[in-house]
Amino acid sequence: MLINTRKVCLLLSRQYTTKAKRSLLMQDKSKILTYTPKVSDPKKRRVYAWGFQETGALGLQTNIKKSKERYTEMVHHPTRMQFSVNTDISDIAAGYGFSAFAVERSDGQTLFGSGLNTDSQLGFQVKGTFKDPKKLDVLIYPTPINLPRLEHETDADMKIRCMSAGRAHLVVVTQNGTIFSMGNNSYGQCGRAIIENEDYRGSALIHRIYEKEICGGNDDIVSVVCGQDHTMFLTRLGSVYTCGWGADGQTGKGNYETNGVIAQAKGDINGEHIVKLACASDCVLAINEKGDVFGWGNSEYGQLDDSENAETQVSTPRALALTKGIGKIQDIAAGGSFCMALNEEGLVYTWGYGILGFGPYVEQTSKPQQLLPPLFGRNDFSDQTTVVSIGCGVFHMGAINSDGDLFMWGKNRFGHLGLGHKKDQFFPFKTAVNGKVIKVAFGVDHTLALCRPFM
Amino acid sequence: MSLTKVYDAPTVFRHLNGIMNIYKPAGMKVKHVKNAVLHNIAKDLNEMKVREPRKLHTPLLEPGGDANPLLRKINSIDLADHILATGPRYQISDIRCALVAGLGIHTSGVLLFGINKGINQSQQVQRNRPVRAYHVTGRLGMATETHFPDARITVRADYRHVHPDRVSALAASMQASHQRKMYELCGVDLQSQAAYEIACKGLLRPADNTQPVIYGIKLIDFQRPDFTLEIHAINECEEYLASLINEVGIELRTVAHCTSIRCIRHGHYGVETSLLRHGWNLRGVVKNMREQRQVLQKHPHLINQDKIELRND
Repeated sequence: MLINTRKVCLLLSRQYTTKAKRSLLMQDKSKILTYTPKVSDPKKRRVYAWGFQETGALGLQTNIKKSKERYTEMVHHPTRMQFSVNTDISDIAAGYGFSAFAVERSDGQTLFGSGLNTDSQLGFQVKGTFKDPKKLDVLIYPTPINLPRLEHETDADMKIRCMSAGRAHLVVVTQNGTIFSMGNNSYGQCGRAIIENEDYRGSALIHRIYEKEICGGNDDIVSVVCGQDHTMFLTRLGSVYTCGWGADGQTGKGNYETNGVIAQAKGDINGEHIVKLACASDCVLAINEKGDVFGWGNSEYGQLDDSENAETQVSTPRALALTKGIGKIQDIAAGGSFCMALNEEGLVYTWGYGILGFGPYVEQTSKPQQLLPPLFGRNDFSDQTTVVSIGCGVFHMGAINSDGDLFMWGKNRFGHLGLGHKKDQFFPFKTAVNGKVIKVAFGVDHTLALCRPFM
Repeated sequence: MSLTKVYDAPTVFRHLNGIMNIYKPAGMKVKHVKNAVLHNIAKDLNEMKVREPRKLHTPLLEPGGDANPLLRKINSIDLADHILATGPRYQISDIRCALVAGLGIHTSGVLLFGINKGINQSQQVQRNRPVRAYHVTGRLGMATETHFPDARITVRADYRHVHPDRVSALAASMQASHQRKMYELCGVDLQSQAAYEIACKGLLRPADNTQPVIYGIKLIDFQRPDFTLEIHAINECEEYLASLINEVGIELRTVAHCTSIRCIRHGHYGVETSLLRHGWNLRGVVKNMREQRQVLQKHPHLINQDKIELRND
């Protein structure tokens, strides 16, 4: 009897193991599905977009009817642009409700745009028959912007060197040093004379300026930065040329005049080698190659000067005393009411008014305050991580760290922080982007990120 | 006091309190490891000088008189307490033993037990949920049903395009994403001042033990098709780690399954001081518990945790 039960036990347990094993051993190896992966090119870039969708600035929708539906109004999560899948995008720019993309294509198109086109900031876009054209106010998918060419200009000449977008104007510099400006020119931000009662809607006018006319033959323009309604050009030798709205002194020409004359901004930056300009609305920051910070424009919140009886509008560029104690600055950003600086050690400082990243209670600081490195992903497991680049829109700020992660904070208008909700974020928080972020374009209610894929 | 050799089993048993650090082999259940260790302890204790059977209060025979010499010999012994009647003096069930955190059958590495009065400490360690570090090895090119090698293969794929730098980049991104998750799991409203304050401190421990939290993922070895990740985590289980390898495979545009998991650290209890299988006896366990006691003295916060952030000291 005893032997019997033992046998049964043995049999039972043996049967169990063999069954599991049998299923493994009996598997027909020749019938295993083979999956052939489609590997994306690691050098290719992709664009993620999030924020307010209704203006079409995200370029995600292809169906007009669908884009008008209510639930598609906002995109809370970074979403990969289909446009970037089949087109290699080299640069991005975000304006107030519209986006521009510099592309590398074989068909000769170099510039695409999507979003609001009420002031023809994306060029002349019509639909319908030749006789009865319909002017397009909103482009929901990136559409080519035809830059007018002279006869001798090739595709390589028309490649985009740099570009920037303001409230309702777009300025593009091509490889051969020609500047194209389009859109609203009511303050002279396009670099041409202001015309009274000019109709910008459906206008086909794209203004052409040669860089020689601005900075002479020995110098060339390396970067263009648009504020709300003004434009600034930075040259290789470090001079700054501006035009447009100057009511707050943001043109830095020493006056508060508004005109379309492109002239050099002097003051303290005269003779300095400026390497970067930053501006989102009307306060401008600049750094020279030694890492000193200069500023001009609106200083209502004490961004440029925190002393008592400080003027709230600075029309002459001046070296900032505020940032003296925080070391050599390698990157800057200026928002609507706040400023940011990144020093050589990779520490981020913010000051001004608004959500500065110090929790919900800190709304204003006049001195630059440091945001602690743990907020940007530095901890025991990644102790080498530093912030490499910063930027900001009018209401939100962002920083990219050395791992290619993007951290965002600030007002969450239409979900443009990309955190998956509409609530404001009071300290830097990682945005889930599926790629290493190279560049971020901060719009007023949307954000674009240029990324490299992991795989 | 000079050191003396102890031959006395009750003395040893009285001092058999504390946390022991056992190296669990893969392919063996935790239950079996525990039984094997306790069985060896009991066996070794029984081989030492054990307690004599109790004496009877009233001897069976009157003093003096004529009697069988054998009967005379056992005259005053309580035979009911004799090991031939009760079985060995020390049995597995006499040793109280509690696990700090379990490991799955496929996992090898550090396994902590609290013994006798050490259960108190081990429970506190368990409640504080220290971080566990793992070396997880995966193999590219094949996916299985359970993500472990002893299951049916579901898909095969090409993996020639996978390079170590890409795996490292992916690991860094996964790490950042899991750390973001950590703030959501720490039980604080993200829009509050408290959230800002704890975010400044860096890594946080989770509020409860329901969700796995991963702190660090790092590629430490890559020999195509095998790769090894070092993973630091709380509340994980081996199925979770295996599915993580599966996800890594998919993200790398191929498939992968997990071939081995080794727990190399549990809090401050490292694999270096872990007791290997040949040392699973009384001598080894006593020596091991003495070593582990020093770990606890060096790092008292393993028991009394007063901060929300992850500590490394």
